[in-house]
Amino acid sequence: MSIINKKGNKNQNLAMVIVGDRCIGCDACYAACKTDWDVLPVKEAYRTKVWDIEGEDNFGNPTIRFLPVLCNHCDNPPCVDVCPTGASFKRDEDGIVLVNSDMCIGCKACMVACPYDARYYDETKASVDKCTFCLPRLNNGLEPACVVTCVGESRNFGDLNDPDSNVAKMMKNATSITRLKEDKGTLPNVYYITINY
Amino acid sequence: MSRHNLTRRGFLKLAGATGVAASAGITGIPSPLKAAQSNDAKSEMFLHYDRGVQSPSFCEMCFWNCGLNVYTRNGRIHKLEGNPLNPNSNGHLCAKGNSGIDSTYDADRIQHPLIRVGKRGEGKFKKVSWEEASQYVFDKLSPLMKKYGPETLATFMHGTGEPYVHALTKALGSPNIVVPAYSQCLGSREMAWILTFGTGVSGHETYDMANTRHMILFGRNMAGALQVREAEDFAEGLARGAKLTYVDPRLSESCVNATDWLQINPGTDLALALGFIHVIIRDNLVNMDFVSKYCYGFDQLSAHVAQYTPDWASNKCGIDAKTIERIAWDFAKYAPHVVAVPPRRMTRYGNDTQTVRAIAILNALMGNWGVPGGLWVRSGVPIDLPEYEEPKQPTTRRADGAGKGEKYPLAPQNLGRTNGMIEATLTQKPYPIKAWMLYGTNPLFHSSAGTNDIYKAIENLDLLIAIDTQFSDTVMYADVVFPESTYLERDDAPFVQKDKIPFIALREAAIKPIYDTKGCFDICKGIAEKFKIAHWFEHSPTQQIADLYKALSPEQAKKLKDDGVLRFEAVDPYPLASGATPTFRTATGKVQLYVPNLTDFYQEHGDDFAPMPIYKDPIMADSKDTFRLLFGKSPRHTHARTQNNWLLLELQDDNPIWIHPKDAKRLGFSDGQMVYMVNPKTGVKAEHAEKIKVTKRIKEGAVFIHHGFGHTTKAWSRGYEKGIGDNFFVSDDIDPISGAAAFNNGFVTLVKA
Ligand code: SF4
Ligand code: SF4
Ligand code: SF4
Repeated sequence: MSIINKKGNKNQNLAMVIVGDRCIGCDACYAACKTDWDVLPVKEAYRTKVWDIEGEDNFGNPTIRFLPVLCNHCDNPPCVDVCPTGASFKRDEDGIVLVNSDMCIGCKACMVACPYDARYYDETKASVDKCTFCLPRLNNGLEPACVVTCVGESRNFGDLNDPDSNVAKMMKNATSITRLKEDKGTLPNVYYITINY
Repeated sequence: MSRHNLTRRGFLKLAGATGVAASAGITGIPSPLKAAQSNDAKSEMFLHYDRGVQSPSFCEMCFWNCGLNVYTRNGRIHKLEGNPLNPNSNGHLCAKGNSGIDSTYDADRIQHPLIRVGKRGEGKFKKVSWEEASQYVFDKLSPLMKKYGPETLATFMHGTGEPYVHALTKALGSPNIVVPAYSQCLGSREMAWILTFGTGVSGHETYDMANTRHMILFGRNMAGALQVREAEDFAEGLARGAKLTYVDPRLSESCVNATDWLQINPGTDLALALGFIHVIIRDNLVNMDFVSKYCYGFDQLSAHVAQYTPDWASNKCGIDAKTIERIAWDFAKYAPHVVAVPPRRMTRYGNDTQTVRAIAILNALMGNWGVPGGLWVRSGVPIDLPEYEEPKQPTTRRADGAGKGEKYPLAPQNLGRTNGMIEATLTQKPYPIKAWMLYGTNPLFHSSAGTNDIYKAIENLDLLIAIDTQFSDTVMYADVVFPESTYLERDDAPFVQKDKIPFIALREAAIKPIYDTKGCFDICKGIAEKFKIAHWFEHSPTQQIADLYKALSPEQAKKLKDDGVLRFEAVDPYPLASGATPTFRTATGKVQLYVPNLTDFYQEHGDDFAPMPIYKDPIMADSKDTFRLLFGKSPRHTHARTQNNWLLLELQDDNPIWIHPKDAKRLGFSDGQMVYMVNPKTGVKAEHAEKIKVTKRIKEGAVFIHHGFGHTTKAWSRGYEKGIGDNFFVSDDIDPISGAAAFNNGFVTLVKA
């Protein structure tokens, strides 16, 4: 079974669908991603991270919520637009946004352009790096590492263009759907939903 | 910097980008460069993924033991993933499990056997052979055992190799085995459940949270003190619409979806539970069908709790009476598909067994035993497993006060009391304890006896033997150190779990030991050989795996080989729902709302041992600038053992002191300010200052920190002195029934740094 279509089929819309209230803030996704992709062992380098959002309810009582973030693989990616060399690009066939490290000159324009702080600079590769939606795994029939390990089963992955996919069904049944910073016009492919089971 | 406020924008500047200016300049590059390669060519580097060789295991980053597939490329482990077929974790791993690789490749590990050369605790050792290390144990331990009797040896153990340390200690003739999981964690909870239901909750709890309609968690932080299947079930139950009443002076991770958070006064959970019971009985909400058939002592209970009205409870626990009534009604409304959950580390205020008794009673009144959404009934694996003869438990008197005729007659002899053993070593009473053997335990950072007392206890020892994978704080004080191979480098005996879906899991070495280390079996056997008792060590873990295969049918054997785990699904976790008659292994054969077997103790020792829980006020701080120290677990660390793991440290390398805004204001503290924690009773001041986190998430009058930080071991190049530790400040009170520790009666003051 392959999650992604092999060449020739250009109509996939790969997306991460995160059921927000199932995230328990365990950071398993962070750790799985960092080990699978040998992301630099420093705090500033990560492809996904989970924010603790502390707040207050209407009565002034404290609240806690968790927000997993990663590259949104935007349909209108500012990072790609600003890249002077074409190292940052978006795949036509499935929408994945990637950085080709051979072509990256390390100018970091994309890091500045990304409204989501999704990118980091990897000194050892002399290249900007970021979430790949685990393309190497997908291409070998495996789900993304962060999805596989997700303890709360908050993270889900698949092709929104396939009505039979898990994510398409979840989006259909969702009671609310949000994306981050919609006002930036980036058209993210990471969705945060609530759903009644 | 804490994980809460780190943004990469700052890093970006440090890393030298000048933002818009830089990008503006660079966009001047001629555009042909942009289209130099096709998308296909550019994708090429992303199309390969070598998963490598898969070997079966189970995780040992904590003691829940999730199912693991270990992936190795060119002889190096590159990834750990959950085994989807293992019922402990269903394919998931937490952050700790995912970070397990570093346990093996960490250069700070103990790399070969060692004998101390410097002063105790100085950390100076010489490299020796295995032969020399075992001979050293023989040469030092034999005269001590001759002089003081074999019981002068006490062993502390935690980990998969426990059975071998257990066997070695018994074969050497000492009864003094202690497993900290009892007196430092689960003891009071187990005791209460056994007195009520006839069986313990065990380390793998039986709450059916995935199917429940309303769960009340009494300080049980399912999401934070995280064990994977439980956390999965918790998230699943909530996603399906279960209600969650979360009771804790602190708003923890588990509150993310709570229907109600009851910010209770510390130490008063028993009052709240009794209040719930009162309402449920008063308003005729008891599942009388279950209670009349299967429970003992309902009439006594009804009379007993008449005094514990919601108003009374409210006055004690700080939750208003209307809320207590509303939650009790809602809980009963969904019975029997409800569950009231006691904490896991139930070593808190010294009334812990009785508190869990009340929680157990709350479950019993709902009749949730053996029904979906309540308490499932675990089953053993339905095959005859190979059996191995073990040395008998010596009948010599134990030194720690556990067992019949002792101060803690109900405390189990096979688990013992860590707190009692440390005290016995400190006082050398009832008889001299002159030698310790530690397996995977770190009493200096895990104990109630007050770390200062443990240093003194260690001074009384003539021999300290350590078996460990890493230089914990206490290992630094050892005279002889046996380096253990990690869970990724060794075969272990098959893991057999009684559960909802009972199963057997395999652990096979994914790689050869990278240093000069051995499994616990071989270490114990090496020592046993010197004492001529090696006949107890004839079945190595590898042999035990082979023996298991012989006991299985060919189909079962194939499944185990292919999957790394063998599940037995044809058991019924919900016997009551299926119409079976449940049996309870209590003194009365029923669920004991009233415990007749406590009556004698009650007469002898008074209220603490009452057959039905009697409320007692908690010990309070003596001034309003003295705060109760509460501590709990971080989902990013296991106890005091992972604070040198680079990836987990990246996730949390500090331990801010949580304090309520009103308290902070009164003391003139602001968020992020550095303070010293002081123990007013002992005068001990924390080694280094820590920042405070001003938050309404903690109750006024209490402060909170995570457990496991503040290490003194200099061998930990990354974890040394990160964050502050709780161990210098917790109390050494004792629960009178279980004999387990009560840590949370410790009080601290804070001083500006
Ligand atoms: S999230 Fe940022 S890096 Fe990812 S595609 Fe959008 S703009 Fe680019
Ligand atoms: S999809 Fe893969 S690369 Fe992206 S955050 Fe998840 S694990 Fe990391
Ligand atoms: S693994 Fe899942 S539940 Fe855990 S923090 Fe990540 S998204 Fe949240």
